[in-house]
Amino acid sequence: MNYPVWYVPTFGGGLLIALVAIVHVFVSHFAVGGGLYLVLTERKALREQSDQIMAFVRKHTKFFMLLTMVFGGLTGVAIWFVISLIHPAATSLLIHTFVFGWATEWVFFLVEIVALFVYFYTFGRMDDRTHLTIGWIYFGAAWLSLFLINGIIDFMLTPGAWVATNDFWSGFFNPTFWPSLFFRSFMSFMLAGCYGFLTATLLEDETTRHRMIRYSGRWALVSLVLSLPAGWWYLSVLPDKARGLVGGVSPTITRAAIVGAYSFALLSGMLICLILLNQKARTRGLIVCVMLAAMGYLGAFEWTREAARRPYIVNGVMYSNGILQKDLERINREGFLKNAKWVQHKEVTETNQLEAGRELFLHQCFACHTVGGMNNDILMRTKNMSYGAMRKYLSTIHEKRYFMPPFVGTEVELKALAAYLTAGLHKKPLADDSAAGGERGKQLFEENCAACHGADVLKPLLASWPREQVRAALDKLPALNPAMPDYAAPKADKDAVAGYLFSLNHPVAAQTAKVDGAKLFEENCTACHGFDQIKPKLRGWSRDKIRTALEKLSALNPAMPDYGGSAVEKDGLADYMLQQAGGVK
Amino acid sequence: MNPQNLIPVADTLTAPNGWFQFFLMLTFPLHLFAMNAMLGTGLVAFVAHLYPGRAYRELSHELAKALPFLIAFTVNLGVAPLLFVNVLYGHLLYTSTILMGLFWLAVIPVVIVAYYLAYIYDFRFKQLGNPAMFVVFAVVLLLLLVGFVFTNNMTMMISPTSWGRWFATPNGTLLNLADPTVLSRYLHMMAGALAVGGLFVAIYASTVLKSDPDVSEIGQKLGMRLFAWLTLVQLAVGTWFLLSLPQHTLHRFMGGGGVATGLLVTGVLLTVAVLVTGFRRQVLPTVWLSMALVYVMAFMRDVVRGNFLAPYFNPTTVPVQAQWSPLVLFLVSLVAGLVLVVWMLTRLTNLKSRA
Repeated sequence: MNYPVWYVPTFGGGLLIALVAIVHVFVSHFAVGGGLYLVLTERKALREQSDQIMAFVRKHTKFFMLLTMVFGGLTGVAIWFVISLIHPAATSLLIHTFVFGWATEWVFFLVEIVALFVYFYTFGRMDDRTHLTIGWIYFGAAWLSLFLINGIIDFMLTPGAWVATNDFWSGFFNPTFWPSLFFRSFMSFMLAGCYGFLTATLLEDETTRHRMIRYSGRWALVSLVLSLPAGWWYLSVLPDKARGLVGGVSPTITRAAIVGAYSFALLSGMLICLILLNQKARTRGLIVCVMLAAMGYLGAFEWTREAARRPYIVNGVMYSNGILQKDLERINREGFLKNAKWVQHKEVTETNQLEAGRELFLHQCFACHTVGGMNNDILMRTKNMSYGAMRKYLSTIHEKRYFMPPFVGTEVELKALAAYLTAGLHKKPLADDSAAGGERGKQLFEENCAACHGADVLKPLLASWPREQVRAALDKLPALNPAMPDYAAPKADKDAVAGYLFSLNHPVAAQTAKVDGAKLFEENCTACHGFDQIKPKLRGWSRDKIRTALEKLSALNPAMPDYGGSAVEKDGLADYMLQQAGGVK
Repeated sequence: MNPQNLIPVADTLTAPNGWFQFFLMLTFPLHLFAMNAMLGTGLVAFVAHLYPGRAYRELSHELAKALPFLIAFTVNLGVAPLLFVNVLYGHLLYTSTILMGLFWLAVIPVVIVAYYLAYIYDFRFKQLGNPAMFVVFAVVLLLLLVGFVFTNNMTMMISPTSWGRWFATPNGTLLNLADPTVLSRYLHMMAGALAVGGLFVAIYASTVLKSDPDVSEIGQKLGMRLFAWLTLVQLAVGTWFLLSLPQHTLHRFMGGGGVATGLLVTGVLLTVAVLVTGFRRQVLPTVWLSMALVYVMAFMRDVVRGNFLAPYFNPTTVPVQAQWSPLVLFLVSLVAGLVLVVWMLTRLTNLKSRA
């Protein structure tokens, strides 16, 4: 709210950051591990006095320089550019808190560049000892870069004591610093092995080629195995909420974890086959597969790490949409729009509800949701919800789904956002059906379930389920899918939802459900007019005419809100009114 | 829309403002030197293709070898001042960055392509033959394009009056073209960059390339010629830029402000001096005077920024919560890093002198 929003509706910022970040970490980790790989392989060549291995190291250094210095260096700058575009408030917080950490990292970047240039351009022209020392300087500077960035990145997930002290060091050496450092170091060595594979396949001399492939394979395999306990250590120090997210409460993270696990298994299997079992498997195509799997492994880790801090961008400090947690109560009291700088509507009025709602969406939701795009599309997420259901959902959104930030603002602003998400995006009526006493099961379903899956998705899944099974499942939703939160509601509500879900495949059950027309009339109509008042107007009306009129009450009289009840309820209400008016069917 | 209401709140500084100003003004000219050398090297390498003869070809080849280094150092030395600008003016910079998001992000692929083209130009120089000139020409054009994006961002961040356009165009496609200073400022920066770049080629040719007297001579001739003529052009472009500034800013340079006027007078005197030494082909005196001139220009640029922002933002009012140990970490690392860099470079020069 402090900043404008880069609004490209179909291409969300989250996806952009993920794309740039995954590509960058894949190269930047190689830039670290590859440094060690180069010096140790050069030492091996010197010890074994092997010109072939030395030629391999030289060739690999050229590839390494072109990839890490150009692509790695610039995609690193790209991450900075992208996050300042998508998360300016968080970028400012990180820059200000760790400015001298970043500045120190810049020094190591400078040393890396000089060392790598000197290392590459003096191959065979410098005495061995000095050349190796230059290589070690490169690796030291690269690893120290990792050391620094690691502290700042993990600060976002576990800011630790910094929240209370604002002290640089307590934020830097935060609870996940060490496990993450080990994990990333092993990952970087693993990637060095993978890239080594790639260059090794280009070797013409067959003996050296097999030798270097085996050598690189051992690197990758040992590092991969070592990364396992480091990863476990990392997970074990996560705070409860984050561990819960990684454990499956968030569907996105579950997906990432599964992809990670599969690619990891795939990678291990292929590496073992490649190195130990079959010489013929040492083909470039298969090695590219190994690299893709490694990318999946690292990508899944990064995605999981990013997602585990939800709904925050800095855990417990700043929400994904840039709102500081400490400001929450004040903004709820004073209003979001009043406190926001980049809005045109400073308060919600009768005439600007949708426009104000759109601005609320832009500043509170767009950081994670696209509009019609492939990532977290808000149109898909809201298509099943009515205005009333949306209002209820927004008021407890963070409690129902921890990884969503709470709505921040006043009740009137919440209504404006709900109006935009339903009437604005889907042209749905603004009828306040939460008070209308419409079909209760459907209404509860919309409020509690429809954000993740609409009735159309569940219908085929429940086709063969008896009502009792549906009802029993509502008591233990996480057992069906760990991503689903428990549905903590009174027994009667669960009965109603079970009835609704069962009726999806058994419409007769719904038909036969007793609808109390008198009660519906009382709940929905009598606030403005008793039956006595409308009875004269209904004289001569057929049942069909009444039923049709109930579909669009505002057409009869613009002052009347449309009735949001179900078809069955409208039928019941029409029957009741016909009977009371003394007409015939 | 009152632009004042759009300005985001600046975050707390972790060291007094002066430290960041100091680091910014120390590192920004270093980036300029590298950037100037990069552009000048590219241009002279291209121009040399237009002349026949071995020495010209050899000069292009030698400059082709230097170009990737210069791009790497331009990027690296750009990171530090951009970091300190983020600290001092981040809330303004992020805002204008969002307004022009698409162009700003485009900088990255453009630089990556230019960088790889520079490597192709270097590693494939001989195979490419004369068409190599198109490759280096593309590199220079792409890098000049990056400069244009930077000029837009650096001017838009200090012009909150232009920010209200976001409400109608929030998709990151805004530039600052309506600002009368943008074009003159861009041309002033780029003409200056190419001039100093020419000077870099001259000094490079007179030192690193001295083993081949023909190439060395041509390099110095082309470099110094580029420097002197572009500096002459700069007198006109610089005046245009000065006059395009808003009245109150111009007034400060024309006697209204002591520091601003002093900087302008020093700048003009240094320009006249480098013109004299430049046309006389006195390489070393021109280098020293030009280094001073670049620093003076960087400070003048800072005065312009301060004046543009004066109605909206005063950096000295940002709250400070000082913490010294991270600053010490940086300073110690900087010294250690520089020692390592110098050590590595001496190993390199020892190698060359032995050879």
